[in-house]
Amino acid sequence: MRLMSFAASIAAIVAMPLAAMAQPAKTECLAGAKPGGGFDLTCRLAGMALQNAKLIKDPMAVTYMEGGVGAVAYNHVIGTRPNDPGLIIAASAGSALLIAQGKFGKHDENAVRWLGSVGTDYGVIAVSADSPIKTLKELIEAFGKDPGAFPVGGGGAVGSQDWMKVALVAKASNVDPKKMRYAALEGGGAVTTALQGGHVKIASGDAAEMGVLHEQKKLRLLVVMSNERLPGALKDVPTAKEQGFDILWPVWRGFYVGPKVSDADYNTWVEMFRKLSATPEFAKEREARGLFPLNAFGADFDKLVKSDVVKFRQLAKDAGL
Amino acid sequence: MSLDFLWQGFGVALQPSNLLIGFLGCFLGTIIGALPAVGPINGIALLLPIAYTSGLPAESTLILLAGVYYGAEYGGRISSILLNVPGDAGAVMTAIDGYPLARNGDATRALAISGISSFIGGMLAVVAMTFLAPLFGLLAIKFGPAEYFVLMVFAFCTLGSMVGHEPVKTLIGCVIGLTLTTIGIDATSGAYRFTFDEPELHDGIEFIVLVIGLFSISEALILLERQMTGVLKPLEVKGKYPSWLDLKTITWPSVRATVIGFIIGVLPGTGASVASAVAYTTEKRINNKDNTFGKGDIRGLAAPEAANNAAATGAFVPMLTLGVPGSGTTAVMLGALMLYNIQPGPQLFIEQPKLVGGLIASMYVGNVLLLILNLPLVQLFARMLLMPNWILIPGIVALSILGVYSAYSSVMSVLIMFGIGIAGYLLRKLGFDMAPIVLGFVLGKVMEVNLRNALALSGGEIGIFFSSPLAIILWGLALLVVLLPWWLRRRASALAAGSP
Amino acid sequence: MTDLSPAHRKAGRIAALTIIMFASVYAVLGSQIEYSFSSDPIGPRGFPIGLGVLLAALGVWYYLDTGACEDWPDRRGAQAAALFLGLSVAMMLAMPYIGFIIAMAILLTGVARLFGASWPMAFANGIGQAVLWWLLFGPLLGSHLPKGPFGF
Repeated sequence: MRLMSFAASIAAIVAMPLAAMAQPAKTECLAGAKPGGGFDLTCRLAGMALQNAKLIKDPMAVTYMEGGVGAVAYNHVIGTRPNDPGLIIAASAGSALLIAQGKFGKHDENAVRWLGSVGTDYGVIAVSADSPIKTLKELIEAFGKDPGAFPVGGGGAVGSQDWMKVALVAKASNVDPKKMRYAALEGGGAVTTALQGGHVKIASGDAAEMGVLHEQKKLRLLVVMSNERLPGALKDVPTAKEQGFDILWPVWRGFYVGPKVSDADYNTWVEMFRKLSATPEFAKEREARGLFPLNAFGADFDKLVKSDVVKFRQLAKDAGL
Repeated sequence: MSLDFLWQGFGVALQPSNLLIGFLGCFLGTIIGALPAVGPINGIALLLPIAYTSGLPAESTLILLAGVYYGAEYGGRISSILLNVPGDAGAVMTAIDGYPLARNGDATRALAISGISSFIGGMLAVVAMTFLAPLFGLLAIKFGPAEYFVLMVFAFCTLGSMVGHEPVKTLIGCVIGLTLTTIGIDATSGAYRFTFDEPELHDGIEFIVLVIGLFSISEALILLERQMTGVLKPLEVKGKYPSWLDLKTITWPSVRATVIGFIIGVLPGTGASVASAVAYTTEKRINNKDNTFGKGDIRGLAAPEAANNAAATGAFVPMLTLGVPGSGTTAVMLGALMLYNIQPGPQLFIEQPKLVGGLIASMYVGNVLLLILNLPLVQLFARMLLMPNWILIPGIVALSILGVYSAYSSVMSVLIMFGIGIAGYLLRKLGFDMAPIVLGFVLGKVMEVNLRNALALSGGEIGIFFSSPLAIILWGLALLVVLLPWWLRRRASALAAGSP
Repeated sequence: MTDLSPAHRKAGRIAALTIIMFASVYAVLGSQIEYSFSSDPIGPRGFPIGLGVLLAALGVWYYLDTGACEDWPDRRGAQAAALFLGLSVAMMLAMPYIGFIIAMAILLTGVARLFGASWPMAFANGIGQAVLWWLLFGPLLGSHLPKGPFGF
């Protein structure tokens, strides 16, 4: 009976830490934000999939250290736990953007060891469902003519990922990103409500979150900022390239470990994630969280992150930040 | 809209296994809610993976999580009333009149009254949600930055009630609260304000750090001072339940607070803390004729509790109708729905009637369960106060530290809490109230962000604040709140002049 | 308030001056906030400057009309408060090294002493509560509390 198994799990959860006291917990995933956020999601995805695929024996503990969108966790790991072999820390393209802007304190992208990715999301631009604008090209033309008529909403401050995405569109329209009427709303949910309420005319966000509303015809996605079209509900949304614009915005999610973790431990993790990415359990968990495949591990991932940081530095400079 | 989904829902929620799960959720939630800083989010984050991996069906999981959510709203008040340690953000205003009641020996009565007003707030809000969810979903959409700003103006106008016989102290408290909200990364421009290169300050001062410092640590210092001068007496607990007169007294305040709480709860940009603050100040504005508020007035206790629970329910409306979370906790629950491959939105009522109905029905059932669970437990909780001070006060200190530490894993946050506690103690000795500081803090961020966002969207045009009917209605309400006491006084003096 | 004692008025005035000073520093720092640009006309400096000026003005009002104030603790009271705060801060700073249970046990023993417990009672209370809270928040609720040299 399900209820019984549920009760048993509760008992197990209560008993588990007591048992774990004898042999210290081996793996831990640190999320640099509140429970329920993107980092938490990344940690849980890895933890659940690793355990389901039997790559780790005990459940991976998820811990939280809120502050500065991961900045506190970054500094904490480098400063106090640089050689903890069991600790992985969730990161995202947003972390690379903040590092590029020097917002992670005195440490740069070389201060930790980049481990691997678990998947990626992509940037999208949306207009309201009843908007006369149907394509990115139309938007760029109309926006270029009268930027003041298009208030923009995004889920982050000036310089954040959401802002950068529309800044790229603005640049394609020959509009100075600083002239945009941009409102920094509190997260993706607020952006889509503001779009539906007509408070903003352009919304900047991510495919996983806005794709659902596109499918329900609550808003219209004009572009996905990926190399190829995305599968599933978003297969009718063209990429920027198809529409003649060179705009890409992948939002990878992955992990790093402390700078002093040994090569052997680092490689064990890399192999574990490499193996994991091939399992069907992992694909299921990843899809449930709206992420698309992105397989980059070890040196590949390291290269990806570092080239992102370089790219973001240039973008921030171009936008005049 | 047909109510078939609701009858189906009751069929689901009243199944013995789901009833048991709901009860379990309510119970765990009450305990989790009573502990400061460990809120429903933690409870849900803890239970969700267990429920998911043990193969609980979607509607049972949702019932469990809703039970935790609800239980936490009921539980949050316990430590507020007994120890002056707010259990969660929505329970801060509860401490203002609840704690004095407990200190006067009326802990049982205070806990029972707050339980009953929570029930009124929760129950009425569920009824409103059942029948009016789509309508209120539309309301949430109508609120843009300009409307949120005017709403905050309205909220500040209700604050007029906090101005006592020393208005300068109230105003200073309020402005201090406002200044504290400017610490951290600026949400609009991304600028670092008053962070002094310290990453721990990037997100600013956390609400829970502020209120635990202001309320609990300063209280511990004041109790210590009384201990040293020998005036600290052991508490008594009369164990008296509320009278019929009490219940009559709190009925209308609870209903009014429910309306305020529900509407504010529906709006994704505000939450239980704003809802309970506005409900409290509104009630005080209406009823504080004999200056009893803040000294243990049961209406001042009932209003924020009813509003708090109504807001918690209201937060489900945008989640179910728009697929947009109305609060941090509903965001986690939204994630839970996604895990089960259920897409929230208006179609949810049609595509998943069993699920939505089960969830809503479980709220009715949950509220009743919680009332039944709470009333007898109240005696037990109140008796905790009978412990000697040398056990009780170390307990307050430990809970304060743990509340902050377990939420932020940072010694720095705990030290900030102590710093705020010292400042709070000094201000209290100087005759300042803590409530205006908290209110300034709660309203300040929403106000600044929305003012600036509105101006960013309008290109600097002030007209945006008068551009929608909703905004104009809110301006009207603000004016009404300012003029109401003046009008009441005039009418009273006119009556007095006319009677002899 | 005409019946205000000189000591109370003095305390109020010191507080008012502190508030004015805090407000000025706050406003000056606020006017120096660095940012590249803001999409709104007010910008990140607007609120801090405005609030700083407002608070300073209110501080002047407060200085002129200090109102009621409670008596300050005597020497023993001040010592007890200093002891409580000093012990709390010391234990919080030490907690990452000596672990949650030891730090908490010492702190709570001290607090119990301040509130009139005899040494044995205070010890029992300190150790008992430290373990109880650790069990509740650590293993049961899953918070990660610092471990000391002995593994707890």
